[in-house]
Amino acid sequence: MSFKLLKTNKQQVGKHLIGIAIFALLLIVVNFIPFDDYYRKIMNLSFIYVTLGLSLNLINGYTGLFSLGHYGFMAIGAYVVAVLTMSSESKEAIFMIVPCYDWLKNIQMHYLPALLLAGLVSALLGFLISLPVLRLNDDYLAIASMGFAEIILVLIRTQFRITNGALGLKGIPRIDSFWLYGGMALLMIIFMVLLTTSRRGAALEAIREDEIAASAVGINAFSHKVVSFTIGSFWAGVGGGLMATLIGTVNPMQFTFQLTFNILLIVVLGGMGHIWGTVVSAILVTSAMEIMRFLDEPMHFLFIHSDGLPGLRMVVLSALLMIYVIIRATNKKRKNKPALSKKKMEADHA
Amino acid sequence: MSFFIQHLINGLSLGSLYALIAIGYTMVYGILRLINFAHGDIFMLGAYLVYYGMLWTPLPWWLVFIVAALLTGLFGILLERFAYAPLRNEPRITVLISAIGASFLMENLAILLFGGRPRPFSVPALLDHSVKVGAISFNVIQIVIPVVTAILLAILSFIILKTKTGMAMRALSTDYEAASLMGININRIISMTFFIGSTLAAIGGILYSCRYPQLMPLMGMMPGIKCFIAAVIGGIGNLTGAVVGGLILGMSEILIVGLLPSLNDYRDGFAFVILILILIIKPTGLFGSNVKEKV
Amino acid sequence: MLKLENITMRFGGVVAVNNFSMHIENNEIVGLIGPNGAGKTTAFNMVTGVYTPTEGKIIYTPEGKDIDITGMKPEHIADLGICRTFQNIRLFKSMSVLDNVKIAGNLRMKSGWLENVVRSPRYNHERQIIDEKAAKLLEEVGLSEQASDQSTSLPYGKQRRLEIARALATDPKLLLLDEPAAGMNPQETQELMDFIRQIRDRYHLTIFLIEHHMDVVMGICERIYVLDHGNLIANGVPAEIQSNKAVIEAYLGVDNA
Repeated sequence: MSFKLLKTNKQQVGKHLIGIAIFALLLIVVNFIPFDDYYRKIMNLSFIYVTLGLSLNLINGYTGLFSLGHYGFMAIGAYVVAVLTMSSESKEAIFMIVPCYDWLKNIQMHYLPALLLAGLVSALLGFLISLPVLRLNDDYLAIASMGFAEIILVLIRTQFRITNGALGLKGIPRIDSFWLYGGMALLMIIFMVLLTTSRRGAALEAIREDEIAASAVGINAFSHKVVSFTIGSFWAGVGGGLMATLIGTVNPMQFTFQLTFNILLIVVLGGMGHIWGTVVSAILVTSAMEIMRFLDEPMHFLFIHSDGLPGLRMVVLSALLMIYVIIRATNKKRKNKPALSKKKMEADHA
Repeated sequence: MSFFIQHLINGLSLGSLYALIAIGYTMVYGILRLINFAHGDIFMLGAYLVYYGMLWTPLPWWLVFIVAALLTGLFGILLERFAYAPLRNEPRITVLISAIGASFLMENLAILLFGGRPRPFSVPALLDHSVKVGAISFNVIQIVIPVVTAILLAILSFIILKTKTGMAMRALSTDYEAASLMGININRIISMTFFIGSTLAAIGGILYSCRYPQLMPLMGMMPGIKCFIAAVIGGIGNLTGAVVGGLILGMSEILIVGLLPSLNDYRDGFAFVILILILIIKPTGLFGSNVKEKV
Repeated sequence: MLKLENITMRFGGVVAVNNFSMHIENNEIVGLIGPNGAGKTTAFNMVTGVYTPTEGKIIYTPEGKDIDITGMKPEHIADLGICRTFQNIRLFKSMSVLDNVKIAGNLRMKSGWLENVVRSPRYNHERQIIDEKAAKLLEEVGLSEQASDQSTSLPYGKQRRLEIARALATDPKLLLLDEPAAGMNPQETQELMDFIRQIRDRYHLTIFLIEHHMDVVMGICERIYVLDHGNLIANGVPAEIQSNKAVIEAYLGVDNA
């Protein structure tokens, strides 16, 4: 299906076709390799982060909206998938303090429609939140979007009859399939390619570059931002739902600001507004994060013995992010120096 | 009535703590247009320095308090030098990312160095008396907090209104470009701003720990976010606004929970609800002025 | 075409434009001049919806029917056929020269988001029209060769032309130019004047411009309004303005080259 669609606009989509083909090939190949459970989990998690990274990149990188609320939408998606796919027996067993609502108890569906619903619920919420939040800019937007994510989590913690409160939900049917996680990532990649190479997609970048100029040429910046934010929320919800089916449990402690930070790390390292950078960096960062778990464990290496250093992994990761951002800025400064003075001369001349 | 006064005291003490921390946010934002995400972690650092100072040195507690606050202030200068100064001409998103990175780095370094489990904070006996006046009971520290806050505010207003450094700070926050052309030593003023803001946050952290004597590496996160919200409510960049915002937030948190105990589970959500309401009604905060982009 | 009726704009205590009335007829080229800070750009901002006037009305008459555009959103005003350029050039910096012009074509695009993503036949058709129009406009302003360059790599004068091309891509009826000749040398200025006349005739435009270069103003404007400290101090044909005492006084000591 997608191939025919892609063909109609060769010029722009063309350069992405190779990447899409490679990714699809990778997906087929990994299905034939007998990985053990640990590596399968890392790879599936990487695929989920591809989806999540691209969705945040759409909001932050392409549209220039500094939203930090992704973890709230992921939580929504995860909980929707959890309550919709769990069997009524496990719901009965788990809701120990307060029973689950009756109407909810007997709903059980396949994970695919559940994922779609997760995305839709999250998108609806994203749409509603975006109406007040997107009137704000930069830092205000960042903090308000984070505020809404926190409010979502407070609600999740307190709606015992749906979410089982702080205890969380267990016994979500687990799906272990590259087709699901990788396929969803591929779908997201194709969607992003089609969106960002379209005229409306280009308008998002115009808004990021100069909102005043964009509205002067007739682009309704606000409605474009709302659409971008809603689409991003949709995929964040799907990503959260995928996490639920991968891990099999959800609880409010999983969904912290740390998640947004991880995704932000992926987007920044991969390059804001670049699809393939995000894809590669999602896979690298996720794998690195998992592999670096050894840093937190007890170490016995030559003469070094430690009883485990919880936190070391995150120290390394956050240091990495900062060093990267700072070095990039310093390099840019060095490179831009002559150009800058020239521009200044022109401005003086004016 | 006594019920009301009781909550008023609780609210005033929490509110002035928020105000102390909010000032740091507002000062930094006023000059650099940057949310210093690591500000809450500086608050945490101040508390831990006191903890180790009391554990390892024979110094009297008040001296430990002062030295720890000043050291944290110096740390604030270092933080700015390493994490923010190299990014001064970068897009704001880049700086914000660095700030978030710095915050995570500090939190996890704290987990690494200080350990993840909570540590008990030994409150000096002088501050730990329970006082009962009629039906109202409170702790000495609850009175000390607003008093210390008031004194610090007086000193700060003096610095900002009467000294040359303060004047330079005001100039920088009014018009960064113009002020830098006027021969103001920007680096020095920014360092000074971070020093003052971080010292106040550290004092806030120490007083907070006297009130809630348990140290954790992530203890600065929630107060940090709430105080930023306080600064936004008051109109970020505005000192009076930060103080008023802190008091509003502290008071309303205590009063809402006091009057409607059933809402206690939602406590951490209040600040955000207030924030969002304020941003929708008056996006520049109570005392903020309207700045529109020049076209 | 356009009528400003007793427009006033206050920012706090400052009156940027005070009780200003003017009108522009179909197909005219009208100039707005005045010393720095006279309120010229503020007037533009009110016409294009960036600011809402504190008092007064703005009436736009594209096809014999009056439309009150006071306080409308910029994108809506652009949709009605008023487009502008900016004093401090506002291009989409990371985009190519061609893409800058194409963006403006979005305004006349009817395909929605879904059609964009799935590339519906209507979308493909519209896209082709946008592409062709953008290419044609670039050729007219003489930027075809730089089509794929980054927009900010162009020299100053060409950036101004690109901004005009971008504005033209919205199919405007009324074009507002904010200091189109700023930063140009005498030869570029001469070319610009010819160019403005050309596009006026070719696209049946009405043109309203702010300019400091008196050669340009006197050379191409059919009528001129003069603002000083937000007040209208004179209006008339170029010859009248040149000899107007109030105008000379307002400019006295001000470098008006």
